[in-house]
Amino acid sequence: MFKIKYIIRKEFQQVRRDRAMLAIIFVLPIIQLLILGYIISSEVTNISTAICDMDNSSLSRGIISRFEQSGYFNINYYEQNRDNLRDYLNSGRISVAIVLPPHLSENLTNRQVSNIQVLLDGQDANTATITLGYVNMILRQFVEEKQQQYLSIDPANVPHVIQPETRVWYNPDLEYSDYMVPGIAVFLLTIVTSLLSAMGLVREREIGTLEQLLVTPLKKYELLVGKIIPFAILGFVELAIALAFARVWYHIPMVGNLLLFALFAVVYLFTTLGLGLFVSATAHTQQQALLLTWFFLVFMFLMSGFVFPIENMPKPAQYISYLNPMRYMIIVVREIFIKGAKIYHIYWQGVALVIFGGTIFSFAVLKFQQRMK
Amino acid sequence: MKSRIIPVIRKELIHILRDPRSLIIIFVMPTLMILLFGYAITFDIKDIKIAVLDQDRSQSSRQLIDKFTNTNYFQIAGELTSREQIEPKMKRRQIVAAVIIPSGFGRDLVSLPASPVQILIDGSNANTATIVINYVTAAINNYNLDINRNIRIPVQVQPRIWYNPDLDSTNFIVPGLLAVLMMMICAMLTSITISREKETGTMEQILVSPIKSHEIIIGKVIPYILVSFLVASAVLMFAKIVFNVPVRGSLLLLALLSLVFIYASLSLGVLISSRAKTQQVALMLSLVGTLLPSILLSGFIFPIFAMPKVLQYLSYIVPAKYYLVIVRGILLKGIGFQYLYAPVIFLFIFGTLLLAISMRNFKTNLEG
Repeated sequence: MFKIKYIIRKEFQQVRRDRAMLAIIFVLPIIQLLILGYIISSEVTNISTAICDMDNSSLSRGIISRFEQSGYFNINYYEQNRDNLRDYLNSGRISVAIVLPPHLSENLTNRQVSNIQVLLDGQDANTATITLGYVNMILRQFVEEKQQQYLSIDPANVPHVIQPETRVWYNPDLEYSDYMVPGIAVFLLTIVTSLLSAMGLVREREIGTLEQLLVTPLKKYELLVGKIIPFAILGFVELAIALAFARVWYHIPMVGNLLLFALFAVVYLFTTLGLGLFVSATAHTQQQALLLTWFFLVFMFLMSGFVFPIENMPKPAQYISYLNPMRYMIIVVREIFIKGAKIYHIYWQGVALVIFGGTIFSFAVLKFQQRMK
Repeated sequence: MKSRIIPVIRKELIHILRDPRSLIIIFVMPTLMILLFGYAITFDIKDIKIAVLDQDRSQSSRQLIDKFTNTNYFQIAGELTSREQIEPKMKRRQIVAAVIIPSGFGRDLVSLPASPVQILIDGSNANTATIVINYVTAAINNYNLDINRNIRIPVQVQPRIWYNPDLDSTNFIVPGLLAVLMMMICAMLTSITISREKETGTMEQILVSPIKSHEIIIGKVIPYILVSFLVASAVLMFAKIVFNVPVRGSLLLLALLSLVFIYASLSLGVLISSRAKTQQVALMLSLVGTLLPSILLSGFIFPIFAMPKVLQYLSYIVPAKYYLVIVRGILLKGIGFQYLYAPVIFLFIFGTLLLAISMRNFKTNLEG
């Protein structure tokens, strides 16, 4: 059992000497935290817009000023000629055009139907949906206010309306980064631990030092444990960096119990380290190991609900996502840090993670033993 | 000179074919991503799980609830009997929002000008929460119009969605995948293969042969151009057949302009390999220098205009950003060269600049 200590020390020395490893461990995460944090939690704003006002009334100008002041749109073109809009969209200079039809204000006074046309660049379905949502919201508010005005003119028509009182729990300011940044910590933990453990053994095999280790009096399980523990420790260092970064740089509140989260992280490590071990027992070269790990990570990333919500997926895809261990961990990190969940709120996720960790890790160990023969 | 390049090409092709696994992964990965984006990942939100606490139990309250159930945005996940039931349900993620209709709601609606309805929303995902607020307000507004027909103002929003009328996210993702794929093959694999020769010492052996260093590079690079073209066309074909991704413009133009992007990517790969002495360093550099920017900063998934200014400026030096304009322009918009010369010029300058730097680096590294 003593001997494990030496192999752990060797592993750390190797990491320290290796600039590429150090980069994987420290530079990559910080770049990701910085870039990913801002990119995935940025709201859709500064939408390049053209407005074609064919009515030219005080009413249409009122609508335009609402778009200007909404904070979502950058009105780049005030266009008189409707035919030019196609060129703007084709060249990518705008992503939405709003056409206010002639006689808009007249129609409105006479209670006749007016159609406001919205031309959208639909290439990015997500952004287009959000943009259309903003347009609808602004126009609806405008119409509602007009309705109030009409009512005040005609006091005989006292309306009876429902007023929604909306209260937002857990994240009252609707900060998107509160939701996304803790997820990055899980994502980084997944990448670093699986990638490092995947590359570690393959490298020794590729440069021939694995044989040297095998002829030493080290037992196989000692070699395995000694190889795994340093990566587990590094994973935790990584997690600590990421969480500290979330707290200090992004000012994420993080209301939950840190120890509870650490416990879940330990369980989750069996999955990621197991995955890395499996890849390193399968791959022949470092290049293959990288590609294989990357392959798994892409699937885990996309189907975890980290960026793309699982609730929006069709049912079969939602069932498939149950096979993705990262899905549970993403839920755990959010529930704990945003809602302050206790163990009894998320024990299901815990059970799933134990099952996945146990299965993947034992499978990887079997594969490893097979390979060592 | 020609005859000396061909053996290098042949040698490199043998290398590539000897490792079919890597090739398979390179092909399967984008296919899997297309499948996921085609079948699984959608951005429209429906079936939002809400709970209703109806303390009034009148005809009016039921009519209001109908307004929620009649759209496919909401799904009633349980009738509640007390307020205390809401929080545990939200913490267990069984509901996203709760609607509370107070007792006396039906009565107040007739006698008072305004009667309140309380909506509680789980705000942890700010994006979803904003959309839920919008839908809830729309449903209630709808009800208000029903009971006050005289205040209706007939303004209709007519959305016309161009280029991708069904708002299909596959159409958006495929061009990005092509860019990432070519980047991976041209920049990452070339930089790894060249640095592998350095690491294992075979580069010296080649150098003492009468081949010139630029001939080695050209010979090493040509097979990867072929492979990237093959894989990219296979992926495009798959997307076209399975998901009916539109090809509105000229494929010939796309192929020609892709060459410019390949040129830029290869230059980046050669530059990385001129710096890296081991495969791992090459790997790291190409991960940070090519793959991540192509995914994160190119507009592949995340729109550039919504990013903070600093990242927007950074995106100007990401070649994939320009290539995406080209691919999306040709495939989805069906536009011609007159709209696309700017990105092409940039990619060409970018490639030439990097190639010039790396050629100088390479000579001193190898011969010095």
